[in-house]
Amino acid sequence: MTQVQFYGHGLPAFQHMDFSGKLIVLEGPDGVGRSTQIALLREWLEANGYAVSSSGLRRSMLAGKGIDEAKRGHTLGDLTMTLFYAADFADRLERDIIPALRAGFVVLTDRYIYSLIARAEVRGLDKEWVRRCMGFALVPDAIFYLRTDVEHLMPRVLTSRGFDYWESGMDFLGYSDYYTSFTVYQNKMLAAFDRLGDEFGFYNIDATQSIHKVFVELCAGVANIVGEMKKPDELRSQGQTASDEYMNINA
Amino acid sequence: MAKLPDGTALPGRLFIVEGIDGSGKSTQLDLLHKWLVASGYAVAFSEWNSSPLVQATTKRGKKKKLLTPTTFSLIHAVDFANRHQQQILPALRAGAIVLADRYVYTAFARDAARGVDRDWVRDVYSFACIPTVALYFKVPLDESLRRIITGRPNLKYYEAGLDMGLSDDAFESYRIFQGRILREYDAISDEYGLTLVDASLPLVTQQQMVREIIEPHLVGAMRAEPNPWRQVIAEEHLSGRYLDHLAGGT
Repeated sequence: MTQVQFYGHGLPAFQHMDFSGKLIVLEGPDGVGRSTQIALLREWLEANGYAVSSSGLRRSMLAGKGIDEAKRGHTLGDLTMTLFYAADFADRLERDIIPALRAGFVVLTDRYIYSLIARAEVRGLDKEWVRRCMGFALVPDAIFYLRTDVEHLMPRVLTSRGFDYWESGMDFLGYSDYYTSFTVYQNKMLAAFDRLGDEFGFYNIDATQSIHKVFVELCAGVANIVGEMKKPDELRSQGQTASDEYMNINA
Repeated sequence: MAKLPDGTALPGRLFIVEGIDGSGKSTQLDLLHKWLVASGYAVAFSEWNSSPLVQATTKRGKKKKLLTPTTFSLIHAVDFANRHQQQILPALRAGAIVLADRYVYTAFARDAARGVDRDWVRDVYSFACIPTVALYFKVPLDESLRRIITGRPNLKYYEAGLDMGLSDDAFESYRIFQGRILREYDAISDEYGLTLVDASLPLVTQQQMVREIIEPHLVGAMRAEPNPWRQVIAEEHLSGRYLDHLAGGT
């Protein structure tokens, strides 16, 4: 059982509560492969007998669609955007994440408040204000940060969806071409993430490595967190793989 | 190398296909795309009239028959500008391969066939990068008509060129319209030095020719591993069950 801990004032309905689940955050820049790793982790955890729930930005019932629509119109100001994302996050926290944690799920979230803080910071919003706004966020059990550089992000972005207006910082940087804007913006974001990593205690994983190496490192970290949720002899033992090794070591 | 309109070389390669409906250009580009990806290149793909930005406008214009030759031309220019700025140019700056199914020459041919001033259309699209290779799939009109019309109950209003009042019969109008476009393409092909591919040859032969034409331009292009997660799934005994429905969200 973990006593609930919030970054700031917290949520009124959920003070002094114990959760049997674990909240695990995956952070990292656009196109680093967070969702791929979450998909792999989820299957791996389930294979090991853990109930898993996942969440990510803009997936709230309340505000997800609204943000999508507002982004299409390019009418969002920095302040409005930050608050809209905060509303989306609060809805997911109260409706999905906390209930799952109380029920004993491992909750994997694709991004968390750190992405929102980083985006707000590079756009020049007041740092203290942003942190106070996000004060209702739960302190996660672990934050894994997939660390990379712009050079490694580029092929993924080019070959998948192409350049996104917001992920390229086109809303505020003032460059007319996407390539330059994307490079400058992502470098600013990477620097912001590094600062936030020190502040919030990220566990850095070198994401310039192969997907497999990243996955094995993640498994090692996750096994550490979830290992205490069940007894060692219940862990899967047959068919040893690189990632299973960590399950057993930490069990 | 692809080039900016002023002649400045870009590190990426731009390969585009042109030809009238039923010339088989999309099939050939699709085969080329798969081959390049399997060969380990980073490939961006862009298709004519596919930008989400103007989709609703285009749909409304077509449904309510609001489009004149000029607005028809400009709506497509909006679509192209959006894709050029967001997909094509950044990928070329980064050094990747870009494949485009139709390019500015489609506008040059189609809009001219609708009576729009040729110089004006060229001015509108003057911001477009110059392709490394522009393939023109040339096919006799009757052959392309057979390919398109077989098994199709009817043609759409603008597709058939019914907005020009060439004929009351959709198929007759389409035939005249496509004939005009074909003549424009032939002139454009000379003007811009497009690379001719005989689109009446067997598909396999055409693809062989296409690869031979493209291959010398691939040296040094950006590479990207296709589906790098495959190895993880194999080595970790996973099925990849959740990889199928990745939301791709941010």
